[in-house]
Amino acid sequence: MLFGNATFFGGDPAIHGWAMATAAVVAASCALVGTLLVVRRMSLLGDAIGHAVLPGIAIAVLSGGRPGGLLVFVGAVAAALLTVWLIQGLQAAGGLAEDAGAGVVFTTLFAIGVVIVSAAPAGTHIDPACILAGDLTFIPFDTVAVVGFAVPRAFVAGTLAFIVLVAAAVVTWKLQVFTAFDSAAARAAGVPVATVTAGLLAATAVATVASFDVVGAVLVVALLVVPAAAAELLAHRLHVMALVAIILGVVGACVGYLAAWHFNTNAAGMIAVVLGLEYIAAAILAPDDGVFARAIGRVRLAWRVACEDRLAGVWREEEAARGRPTGATPTLLERCAAEWLRIDGSFVRDGVTWRLSPRGRREAETVVRSHRLWEAWLGRHADLPLDHLHPPAEWVEHHLGAAMRRRIEVETGWRQSDPHGREIPPESSSQS
Amino acid sequence: MSHAGVDRGQEGSRAGGPPLVEFHDVTVAYGRRPVIWNVDLEIDAACLFGIIGPNGAGKSTLLKAALGLVPMVGGSVRFFGRPLREVRSRVGYVPQRETVDWDFPVNVMDVVLMGTYGRLGWFRRPGIRERQLARDSLDRVGLADLAGRQIGRLSGGQQQRVFLARALAQQADVYLLDEPMAGVDMRSQEQIFRVLAELKAEGRLVVVVHHDLRTAAEWFDRVALVDMRLVAAGPTAVVLTPENLQRTYAGHIDVLEELGRAVATRGRTP
Repeated sequence: MLFGNATFFGGDPAIHGWAMATAAVVAASCALVGTLLVVRRMSLLGDAIGHAVLPGIAIAVLSGGRPGGLLVFVGAVAAALLTVWLIQGLQAAGGLAEDAGAGVVFTTLFAIGVVIVSAAPAGTHIDPACILAGDLTFIPFDTVAVVGFAVPRAFVAGTLAFIVLVAAAVVTWKLQVFTAFDSAAARAAGVPVATVTAGLLAATAVATVASFDVVGAVLVVALLVVPAAAAELLAHRLHVMALVAIILGVVGACVGYLAAWHFNTNAAGMIAVVLGLEYIAAAILAPDDGVFARAIGRVRLAWRVACEDRLAGVWREEEAARGRPTGATPTLLERCAAEWLRIDGSFVRDGVTWRLSPRGRREAETVVRSHRLWEAWLGRHADLPLDHLHPPAEWVEHHLGAAMRRRIEVETGWRQSDPHGREIPPESSSQS
Repeated sequence: MSHAGVDRGQEGSRAGGPPLVEFHDVTVAYGRRPVIWNVDLEIDAACLFGIIGPNGAGKSTLLKAALGLVPMVGGSVRFFGRPLREVRSRVGYVPQRETVDWDFPVNVMDVVLMGTYGRLGWFRRPGIRERQLARDSLDRVGLADLAGRQIGRLSGGQQQRVFLARALAQQADVYLLDEPMAGVDMRSQEQIFRVLAELKAEGRLVVVVHHDLRTAAEWFDRVALVDMRLVAAGPTAVVLTPENLQRTYAGHIDVLEELGRAVATRGRTP
């Protein structure tokens, strides 16, 4: 079913396997480098380098280098460093902001690359369309012999690039992290910050060139930035983030390729679409700050507030029964909460009415105590009129912990009553 | 840098060897605009030393210049009588807390370990010794139980103490701290100050950029009053006089301001 309507792609699984493996290995390289670019807020520079390496590659190819060959890598790295040097030069000389400078430099260099490629004589290994969008489908047919097997050239180049990048990352990780987190302290400690940064940019160029055949210049940016940005939402340590980014990149490449095969469409575009979907999924599902986690947090708080308000409401009614009754109508959520509190045993039946059980009473007293302590504290420290005290206490009561209540009790001089003259219930021994 | 190697002069030589820190005629400019002019300052004994002055006085700039983080247009800074690059590991730096992104994906232990990186050089990884050192440093600032916490989940005071612990892990002899008490709760302030006093008791020099005059008098043994130039330096009680404070806080000297602007724009003052 999945492979049912592949018309253009044809049917040989080995061919597709090679293409997919190539996409996966370059995605892994880009994700690794992209992790450092993203945490250093240099994604835009990655974008710039991704485009600006084109003239370097074009010149290298026209001088006889093969795509994926060493000469092309050297040309690309040179172009990448030239890009950064030009951006910094524009910043120093003309006061051009870095983002604007990057925009000027990379579009110009990319355009120069396009012009060179377009003017190239027929028969050279370079093609404008391929440079923009890449061409995975033809990758399996340009092979080199590796221990007797015909392996696609782009896969070999991509794998070598990945191995080199991983080795470089493992060896210099410590310095990369220090520089990325706090470059001033790193410099003061003698870390060669400029060299570390140049190394990262060279690595970006290497990852970019390895990806060029596969996804083209435009979508290299997606491979560099999107998996890393998604990983940033999921991980709290940099090496974990890099690992997650690599996994997301590889999964995105494989799933994207298979989807493109199934729908018979452009593989690079599909890979980028899948990466985008991965990012959206990460943003929704991120454990701490994801859309889902925040929604759950809001619901749980609303429920806790409703339960506590109901408990405190009944407590106050009992308190007021000695005086006058209160007429607060519970909301629907609070009535549900009251239903739950009956099941839960915080309320017990007393003839026809419901009363607080001993446990319910302790919880209710804690809420009322928090409320009245806060009113006392505000009255003492903020010198507010009486009618300003109740509204803030109404929500603060749900957030005060035992230690803070003790502190407030001390700071307000062990008062027995709140500013309205009502008694502050004593701290209940909640363990018993 | 042109004055490097020039001796401070006859009155500067002390019996106990070279001063711990020596600013010699230091002038620093951002772009072309000078922000700190011709500072001469010697600190020759372990103490708590405050650099005090109003906002924009160039206090932080002075520290950064000493550490080679901003280029000097004139003058030199020496530590233990030698240029910084020879004694880097003996000089610890605590930058302002706001200069880094606290959502960065590292935990407390990762940050404190960074203090050992300078000595480890390019390729060695932190080992058991470094980890122990980092744990001890965290213990000293009262954060031993937060080693595994993501730094974004710390309070401002705890973040500042993590920075201090990182510097402690470096085991330096001179510490330069940039506004360590800014935006920090009272409990953290006391803890930080206690650690700084311990460092002094161990015979280390602690130089603190500070803007709060009320606490300056009680915390520091010696102070330098700075406002685009050095106003006065010496024992706290001697330096913090109404006249000196008036000269420091009366507003920038307009001569220096206008001259700086003229230099920056390659023009002339009115």
